[in-house]
Amino acid sequence: MNNYVYLFWGYNVFWALIALYVVFLATRLGRVGQRLDRLENSLSASDDD
Amino acid sequence: MGTIRSMSLWVVLGAAIALIFAAIYMTFLYAPTESMMGPVQKIFYFHVPSAMVAYLSVFVLLGSSMAYLWTRRRVFDYVAVAATELALLFCTVVLITGPIWAKPAWGVWWTWEARLTTTLVLWLILAACLMVRGYATERDAGARMAAVLGIVAALDVPINYLAVHWWRGQHPQVFGPGKKDPLAPEMMHAFLLCMVAILTLYLALLFLRSRLAAAEDRAQSLMDRMRDS
Repeated sequence: MNNYVYLFWGYNVFWALIALYVVFLATRLGRVGQRLDRLENSLSASDDD
Repeated sequence: MGTIRSMSLWVVLGAAIALIFAAIYMTFLYAPTESMMGPVQKIFYFHVPSAMVAYLSVFVLLGSSMAYLWTRRRVFDYVAVAATELALLFCTVVLITGPIWAKPAWGVWWTWEARLTTTLVLWLILAACLMVRGYATERDAGARMAAVLGIVAALDVPINYLAVHWWRGQHPQVFGPGKKDPLAPEMMHAFLLCMVAILTLYLALLFLRSRLAAAEDRAQSLMDRMRDS
């Protein structure tokens, strides 16, 4: 029965690390996307001026 | 951001998720429980593919680092950043799931055995690669130093793989020369599916992380342009 505890933690550590990394990537992608849109808009506005 | 949300990325990510569910089914319901170690042996189905993907990522890092040093094209640096981060992620998985298996199997969490020690060394080199980038005052200098460290990391992989043969450590070697039918057929099917699932996940993450590096670099160039104008 004790063996199941190790399997539980081994398995959950794997998915927790992968999920954390995916969340980290998605957050950074969202942030850089917004930043790029903002920069491109302000650059095109300054080019129009 | 249309380029980031490209169709192929979502196809690979969708395939990875479907394969992961299939791999979970195969691991827990299809593959039999090993008679000596019991259920804890099932850690093997995620531990070994993670180690193989970490090796693969270090070889991607080697290729992209050499290409970057040779050509100085930033596209290779984007791949190198992604490969470093993913090699570190999967190496971390290996270094955590390994001791969780080792405690019931060997009676200790950690031993300074050759395979374990060289894996830890690999983890430290990969962490150094990311730190060098983070602390560099000039972007290209950081990329160059990280590329050199990436090549050093790749030198550790054959040592890590052969450590079990050279120093006859405790670490089990399921696959390799002289190992005929190392697993029962059901275990082999489950293992191969886990391997394909984790490899597909790796490819999706590599693609996503490389695109992120490219987008961050583009944002930095636009910022520089705005500052200059």
